[in-house]
Amino acid sequence: MRLQRRIAAIAVCCLLLLAGCWDSVELNRRAIVAGMAIDKGPSPEREYMLSFQIIVADEITGKNSRGNSPVVLYTGTGRSMYEALSNASKQIARFLSLGHIRVVIISEEFAREGIKGIMDTLERESEARLTSLMFVARGQMAKDCMTLMTALGKIPANDLVGKVENTSSTFGYNFRMEVDDIIRGIQVPGGGALMNGVWVSGDKETGKSNENMHDITPAAILRISGIAAFKGDKLVGWLDNGEARGVALLQHRLTQTPVVVHTDGNLIVFNIFDNSVHLKARAADPEHPVIMIRITQQASIKELNGNLDLMNPDMLKRAEAELEETTKKDVEKAIQIARSMNSDYLGFGEAVERSNPRGWKKIEDHWDDVFARCEVKVQVKAVTQSTEMRSRSMKMPE
Amino acid sequence: MSAETSSKSGKTVSGAGEGHSRAAVVRGISEELAETLDRIAGELGGSPDLKMRKLLIGTAPPVQAAVVYISGLSAEDSINDFVIGSLMKVNQAREQAPDPGGESLMEYVMERALETGDARIKEDWNDIILAVLSGETAVFLNGYASAIICDTRDEEGRAIDEPTTQLVLRGPKDSFVETIGTNITLIRRRIKTPKLWFEHLTVGEASKTDVAMMFIKGTVDKKLVDEVRSRIRKIKIDAVLESGYIEELIQDKTFTPFPTIYNTERPDVVAANLLEGRVALIVDGTPFVLVLPAVFPQFFQSPADYSERVDIAILMRLIRYGSFIILLFGPSMYIALTTFHYEMIPTVLLVSLLAQRENVPFPALIEALLMEGVFEILREAGIRMPRAVGQTVSVVGGLILGQAAVEAGFVTPAMVIVVSLTGIASFAIPAYNMSIAGRIVRFGYMILAGMFGFYGITLGMIVTIAHMNSLRSFGVPYLSPFVPLSFREQQDTLLRLPLWFIRPGTVSPTRSGENQTDQGKLIDSGHEDNLSPAVQAKGKTGLLDSTEE
Repeated sequence: MRLQRRIAAIAVCCLLLLAGCWDSVELNRRAIVAGMAIDKGPSPEREYMLSFQIIVADEITGKNSRGNSPVVLYTGTGRSMYEALSNASKQIARFLSLGHIRVVIISEEFAREGIKGIMDTLERESEARLTSLMFVARGQMAKDCMTLMTALGKIPANDLVGKVENTSSTFGYNFRMEVDDIIRGIQVPGGGALMNGVWVSGDKETGKSNENMHDITPAAILRISGIAAFKGDKLVGWLDNGEARGVALLQHRLTQTPVVVHTDGNLIVFNIFDNSVHLKARAADPEHPVIMIRITQQASIKELNGNLDLMNPDMLKRAEAELEETTKKDVEKAIQIARSMNSDYLGFGEAVERSNPRGWKKIEDHWDDVFARCEVKVQVKAVTQSTEMRSRSMKMPE
Repeated sequence: MSAETSSKSGKTVSGAGEGHSRAAVVRGISEELAETLDRIAGELGGSPDLKMRKLLIGTAPPVQAAVVYISGLSAEDSINDFVIGSLMKVNQAREQAPDPGGESLMEYVMERALETGDARIKEDWNDIILAVLSGETAVFLNGYASAIICDTRDEEGRAIDEPTTQLVLRGPKDSFVETIGTNITLIRRRIKTPKLWFEHLTVGEASKTDVAMMFIKGTVDKKLVDEVRSRIRKIKIDAVLESGYIEELIQDKTFTPFPTIYNTERPDVVAANLLEGRVALIVDGTPFVLVLPAVFPQFFQSPADYSERVDIAILMRLIRYGSFIILLFGPSMYIALTTFHYEMIPTVLLVSLLAQRENVPFPALIEALLMEGVFEILREAGIRMPRAVGQTVSVVGGLILGQAAVEAGFVTPAMVIVVSLTGIASFAIPAYNMSIAGRIVRFGYMILAGMFGFYGITLGMIVTIAHMNSLRSFGVPYLSPFVPLSFREQQDTLLRLPLWFIRPGTVSPTRSGENQTDQGKLIDSGHEDNLSPAVQAKGKTGLLDSTEE
């Protein structure tokens, strides 16, 4: 009995040794992918062209830096995402590790054809994370957006993430859109996904080398540009300017944004720092739903070019009214463009479903028609919370 | 466990002490003084430190007498003054005594002559030999088959010094010494109640080591005292040279890394534990006093917790638990993160780790085992190193091995950080034996992490916690009051609440109304574990854990 137990114990220990280590990979056997670009290849055999931006750790922190590029780009092609990914191993000496992908860029060409296949792989692959940010390369090869040297920070993918975060928290025309958001977006019936656009301006060839950082003015810059609107999984149009901000507002993703208004020939710039958006549908009659949008904004005055008397509450009220009007216009424009693209990425359908789940079943199949003609009521209330460090304008007579 | 050991050591005793046991057959003493003295000299091999002073006392006719003692063990001044001196005066005294007829000379000497504090008549040969070997003085009179034993023991030892293993910034600075008498005094000074009792026990066939079992009558669970006494009586061993011997022979379970008996060299800690109803075992010849039963949280309490302010004490207590977690999981977490779960490391840190690992030839597990091994060697060497060379070791160890190993590409700097952090964390645990436990278990976790990552660590944790739950210290569940969970007894475990929150209570293996079924299965007390039935509470709802005052 005792002997048997001992044998069993030894056997268990051996089993442990046999079973262990199968998925252990030492760090210096890994190629850490920071960003991935998906382009459409020239032929059906090479339809998917995946470019991986891989971190060269030695060049970033190591004492053994050779002064070379901090990242390296390898490209694999194949008939599918996964084939292309595996194919890339022909060029890469280390195990391709997707756990740290920060950025996925899809070419506009692919986006217009549909991205469901790509999204399936991104979600199915256990290593890739759902918090990576997704972009559409606006009219360019996605690969080109991965090959620019950056002055701030050494990893270009991180640089792009920083740009989105920075602009979304100060300018407000774009916001973080993660893989998870896209997957949710393309699954909304009648709706679609939204993705930030990126665009390289300047000399792409010089941008690839260290020369890009040589001058004070970089030769090529990767910049965020507009929001790509999808119908389902297909790109249908671009949102810029006010409509982009309107979309961000309706998606509850607007944090801060500057709004320029004119009152009696005076230029006032508000900084909106807090928004609350209530989107509700009155859908007792599901064929004719009314979408009620109530927006409250808190703003501060950042700039005043004119001689408006801010100490006068009436004046301030008028300025606020102008601000409300601007916001309302943004929102209405956003809705109008969504209607023109016939894509309910704003989530009106969901609001209808929430308020009248049974009625939704009746109109679900022809929601596109209902969406095109439904009534929308927008109500905006803006409050100026402060005039910042000054109250009187410089231009006001003493 | 004690059964196995005792049978082995029992044999050695009878083998080595052949002559002794033959002599012990004759337990009485001869009435002839010369014969007795010859027998003593013969039995001790004519040892030069055995002193036998012959003298004549009494009136007519004078009676031959002998004073036997061992120089060095006895206070020779008091032997000269109060034993030999007073025996010499018997002559005059007896003349002056009005009616000496009724009593024997032996009784007369004992009652009227000898001026020592403790004197008693012994007839058993072994008792007398043991007394002489303990430093007492035997007085033999010709014609009497007995001896008077006078207590002339000279308790010479180290002076009371600062504790060397359990340092505190604030708190008493005295510690136990090697002499049992002094140690008992140190405790008595702190608890001046007549209820502080102690029992004298002797352990060791050859060493006859004195062991004092101390407890506070009324506070302690009587069953616990009985159990401790019976376990100590069952010990069969040649010699007890340190309290660790006793600890190993009476603990509930031998094959566990976790200590189930607390030891300390601080009298204040012992006093506090006695007041909580624990039993202290003071062993002659060592400054380390055993305290039992001991539960897991007790090993994270420091005497300073009660002298510092509550907020600081709580913070320090939490830091100690945190250090234990770092000690257990530090290297294994690092291995698991770098070889299995690289996606959990923040990207920037990952890049830096990647760059460090670029030229390291070994897998992270080997790297960790290497560094931890080196650290253990350094630590072991540091203990044994003479103080003068100690500096060299730390310089060589810290600078040469650490820095050079990194530069030579043996290990990554991150691994050096992890290893030194665990090394430092191990010193933050107040009880050394708990820190050793952590050091051993750590290696198991490292191997599991190297094979299975976090999954392996989780498995290891399950096994460790299950094992700790199976442990008992004299019937008290080792993890109490966490398992079984008692919210009312958490005043002094993870946190140290203000003193007025900490209710006085008794450590007892079972609490009233709880685990009644457990008491059904009675197991004989000599057996390894599970003493809960034998050591049963009297139904007092007391604190199961350690609440120090």
